[in-house]
Amino acid sequence: MAEKGRLVDLCLFAGKLMVAYGAETYRAEEIMNRMALAGGLKNVHSFVTTTGIFLSGVQEDGDNLMQMVRIVDRFQDLNKVTEVNQLSRDFVKGRINEKEANQQLLKISAAPMNYPLWLIYIASGVAGGAFSYLVGNAKFDMIPAAMGGLMSTLFLVLFQHYLHAKFFSEYLASFFGSVTALTLVYSGYGTSVDQVIIGTIIPLVPGIPLTNSVRDLMNGDLISGLARGAEAALTALSIAAGVATAVSLFLP
Amino acid sequence: MWELLICFMATVAFAIIFNTPTRLLWRIGLIGVFAWTIYSSIQNINVSFIAAAALAAFSASFMSYGLSRRHHVPVTTFVIPGIIPLVPGGKAYETMLAFVEENYIEGLSQGAATLLHAGAIAGGVVFALSVFSIGRGVDQKYET
Repeated sequence: MAEKGRLVDLCLFAGKLMVAYGAETYRAEEIMNRMALAGGLKNVHSFVTTTGIFLSGVQEDGDNLMQMVRIVDRFQDLNKVTEVNQLSRDFVKGRINEKEANQQLLKISAAPMNYPLWLIYIASGVAGGAFSYLVGNAKFDMIPAAMGGLMSTLFLVLFQHYLHAKFFSEYLASFFGSVTALTLVYSGYGTSVDQVIIGTIIPLVPGIPLTNSVRDLMNGDLISGLARGAEAALTALSIAAGVATAVSLFLP
Repeated sequence: MWELLICFMATVAFAIIFNTPTRLLWRIGLIGVFAWTIYSSIQNINVSFIAAAALAAFSASFMSYGLSRRHHVPVTTFVIPGIIPLVPGGKAYETMLAFVEENYIEGLSQGAATLLHAGAIAGGVVFALSVFSIGRGVDQKYET
């Protein structure tokens, strides 16, 4: 009994990491099913939503096991998704046992981001500048857009750290990013307000929830698809509200 | 050429923001360049932006699928940064601006264009990935 209970804990831990860091629903379900079957459970069923995970199975002696975990925070970290995916393959093929798998999962979940924070700031600057060039074809807009993109990610990380309120900090980040962009444009750097602001807010765009929402919906995972879609829509709304506030302050 | 280089930079920067593994970065950049090339060159021969976006997303995910098979990583790692150059950021911004200026008709038409563009990208991605699931059955979709 206790042994299989640990197996279920392991599967739920893997599934939780997958969903929390941005994998699709069916991949998390698939991984949990395969790991549970490889560990000796029978009649395994898993049900993954964006905010909670269920797993049930039957032991050899006929007892039922059923557990769930709740997912509170969700981030974007595709490196962790890749590593958990690899670990589940190793576990299913029997290359590592349950204890090693658990230790590796603990290590993966505690691992820091793949890149240092300053590189992420620079990357969002580069992304903002490059995207504003792709949209508008004006080289003079690249530098203010890069500044704006850098500022908005900087503010996002800052507010997230102190406020712990996701949508409000996205609102504030896009507001301060747009204020930076507008200030730069009105003091003579850059030609077109529109392109600079597009570059400024593009690092905040919820790419992973948006893509995964559509893929979940098309797969038939309607609940988690809708939940992710709601998350993406709320984020988009708070970004738009931030820009709208900044623009309407500067418009008159 | 200049444009392709900038597109490469944008895609790699997004891959860094989404924290993808370092060894895959330049391949993700190539997918972004590929998607952008298809998107802009098809628009040059008078095809609507919706069809162009759908086709570009389709071929980018097709390529992502092949690469993810080879490197044994989830296909999401390639697809999500790879389609970033197609994202309708400009149209979304125009929509919001029109609503802020109380120009509702313009806002609605821009909003419809944004939704169609985003839907075309999503449709292209889903279609490309479903092609590979044909014949594998419902329980066999461990696509890597």
